[in-house]
Amino acid sequence: MLRAIDVPQNTAAALTSLARARDALVIGGGTLVMPKVQTGISGLGALVSLAKLKLDRIAVKGDKVTIGAAATLAAVGEERGLAFLHPAIESVGSPTLRNLATIGGNLFTEQPYGDIAVCLLALDAEATVATKRGARKISVAEILKKGVARDAIVTAISFKKPDKGTWFYRKAMRRAANSASIVTIAAHLPLKKGKIAGARVALGGCGAKPVRALKAEAALEGQKIDADSVAKAGALLIKDAAPFTDAYASAWYRTRVLPVHFRRAILGE
Amino acid sequence: MPSTVVSLKVNGRAQEFLTRPGTTLLDALRDSVGLTASKKGCAQGTCGTCTVLLDGKPVFACLVPVETVAGRSIETLEGLAAGDRLHPLQESFIEQFATQCGFCTSGMIMAAKGLLARNANPSRADVVRAISGNVCRCTGYESIIDAVMAAAAKMKKSASSRKKAAE
Repeated sequence: MLRAIDVPQNTAAALTSLARARDALVIGGGTLVMPKVQTGISGLGALVSLAKLKLDRIAVKGDKVTIGAAATLAAVGEERGLAFLHPAIESVGSPTLRNLATIGGNLFTEQPYGDIAVCLLALDAEATVATKRGARKISVAEILKKGVARDAIVTAISFKKPDKGTWFYRKAMRRAANSASIVTIAAHLPLKKGKIAGARVALGGCGAKPVRALKAEAALEGQKIDADSVAKAGALLIKDAAPFTDAYASAWYRTRVLPVHFRRAILGE
Repeated sequence: MPSTVVSLKVNGRAQEFLTRPGTTLLDALRDSVGLTASKKGCAQGTCGTCTVLLDGKPVFACLVPVETVAGRSIETLEGLAAGDRLHPLQESFIEQFATQCGFCTSGMIMAAKGLLARNANPSRADVVRAISGNVCRCTGYESIIDAVMAAAAKMKKSASSRKKAAE
């Protein structure tokens, strides 16, 4: 049973609240925390809400993007400067869910949920993490591996906008909408003189958390984006992926379709 | 486990009630305010039967701790009719046979109302997108989409005739 819901008016008060109660958890939109709370076995005693902390500002200055961690996915989906991310946003839940779900919250779920986290991994995004001891920047990659301290609040996410023609995203689902992922592919393939330089390929549905397909990235390095390079890289995805079985798909199926959806993500159908 | 007093607006009227931590907006609407049109289907944000409008935007009331929306404005299905006069969405749902068991209906209508407030001229695809968070076991969805499209047409017609009368 919950002991308290705290709705602090500023971040300092929120951090104090978290530091004080060992069974307290940050709540953003509630789409991940409340289902846990409703089962009654979450072990949580208190929730510290981000609702009044004004951590929802979206700033796009040139190619530098900073998004408040409590910005809803709906708000990100309405930001014209982030049009490249809109297909990914549209693939998460439903518009109703996205009016609550936050971009920061997407870092704290398990696959096959967390498609924006897959994107942020491919974007080499960083998060600003605040505790009573101060704030610092931590890579999203590290947060996905280790989480954050129990009494920390992610306050912002930042990344550089990819150049046109270098960002690719696809989420394979059982339904046309409102479904978790079979596999999710997010790829940033920056081009130098038409050749890939600094490839980033992130996968969902291939482990408890989003993973980087390092061998596929290495195979793409220096290549043009074409059927040949995509096929070669697609065959290497599985070497860094651990697709699992759940209600949506079997590990066999995810493995089987992973290179297909990778090809479709980058080259179209 | 101390309770708190929460004040908010529901369907234009101020409401105030005592609430225990862990009470969702859905629980508060149903148990404290007595508005039971919004349903508890899954308590996880996956079925949509609890959909209400929060400051005009559709949200799943089952996922919102009620303390976090103190002072905000909520609309539920109960706020649509004006006495005996049904809202065009309600009329259309009846005319198009868009409701059978009725369990999804409140959520569907509120999601549709949220859509029509932002987009008075939706395509079928727009409607499908707007109700993609609402599950229906009975109708197969097509009559629901028909009803929302019909309601949009009705609302456009009455908006333009109100405009003509004012001119």
